[in-house]
Amino acid sequence: MLKITAYYSPTTLTEAVALLAEEGRTVIAGGTDLLVNPRYMVGVREVVDIRKLGLDYISVEDGWIRIGAGATMRTVARHPLIQTLANGILARGAAVCGSPNIRNMATLAGNVASALPSADTPPALIALNAQAVLVGTQGERIVPLDSFFVGPAKSVRERELIRELRIPLPNDKISGGFYKIGRTAEDISMVNATATLNIQDGVITDVRLVMGAVAPIPLRTVEAEQALIGQPAAEETFQRVAEIVRQEVRPISDHRASADYRRRMSGVAAIRALRQAAGLAPHGEEWHHA
Amino acid sequence: MPEIEITLKVNGRTVTWRVQPGETLLEALHHHHLKGTKLICGTGDCCGCGVILNGNSINSCCMLAAQADSGDLLTIEGLAQEGKLHPIQEAFAEEGAAQCGYCTPGFIIRTYAFLQEHPHPTEAEVQAALAGNICRCTGYVKPVAAVLRAAEMMQSGP
Repeated sequence: MLKITAYYSPTTLTEAVALLAEEGRTVIAGGTDLLVNPRYMVGVREVVDIRKLGLDYISVEDGWIRIGAGATMRTVARHPLIQTLANGILARGAAVCGSPNIRNMATLAGNVASALPSADTPPALIALNAQAVLVGTQGERIVPLDSFFVGPAKSVRERELIRELRIPLPNDKISGGFYKIGRTAEDISMVNATATLNIQDGVITDVRLVMGAVAPIPLRTVEAEQALIGQPAAEETFQRVAEIVRQEVRPISDHRASADYRRRMSGVAAIRALRQAAGLAPHGEEWHHA
Repeated sequence: MPEIEITLKVNGRTVTWRVQPGETLLEALHHHHLKGTKLICGTGDCCGCGVILNGNSINSCCMLAAQADSGDLLTIEGLAQEGKLHPIQEAFAEEGAAQCGYCTPGFIIRTYAFLQEHPHPTEAEVQAALAGNICRCTGYVKPVAAVLRAAEMMQSGP
């Protein structure tokens, strides 16, 4: 039995926000992080379930994909537009998050709210230039995902809930790549890499390269990105940039992998994600590997 | 501590349960003598506590009982009808896909949800579908064979 003394299930956003304004309360949706990881229950006695707020939508309008806080990993992984946007990097991240049972419960917004550096979907959201819409008693604010994370399990979110995540539909064609290195099919990443590229006439004109599980937050490797812009989308470029990635990451050692292993594999994962985005992945590398 | 009253359908029967705010769905099942669903890891990592809620297989260890209010729940106890095993259960028995048996309800529940959506699965699809179910004694070859056999049995009818 968990030490929870009250459970609220509000049906309006206003009610939910008012409930969350009190100390000692937190948001529950899928519950797959909250109920099993004691770090999220520190100082928490009461939970506010947001699943009856009608936020389980994924909609496309006015140039945005809007993913409500209640949308599960499974629905994200199966959404036709998310499956094609930038080679489906977000759908693929969602499809390797935990086991099938977990993906039926866990929400994309919850994966963001948990703010673990090893999470499978925040790198894709950052690479796709996504925003989080946060709601609190002061009203709504919009935070770009690349400035949302502060440290392990820490974000800029105060006593707020994530109402939805928004991804702008790009004007130009962007391509993407996602590569996860994990111990087993359902384990969290030891290292993951997500890339989006704009390529014109064989030259990289815009790029995002985001590494997971190798820093206190999902890490945009900005120096590597700078080194990619204006360069040919080719193997030589990626090999050279992989060295910059290795220097930019700040991994730790834990029971899954040593810091040294993570640093080396960061280069490998980055190259493989970039190859996918450039359409150069050899057979067997078109997809993530567990 | 304020108890919460929930009403849900469990294996076809509507029940009203009083649950604690911190009680997991798995604990509530056990309190109501539905003990076929097992507690193994308790952290959502092994799928041993699998149940089907509103058509989706989920882990009952990492969901609050209160969250199952007004849901439609199927547990391992609900599969056999009038003393006759479900074809999935028969297939697991015939293939010897259980050794100590503790993880088996979770495998069977996951298989049930999977075969509803994929009645003609390939071996690779079965392996992916069972990737989250952990067995520490017999392994995975026989469970995969059992799922493929169950799919055949369910096609040919009872």
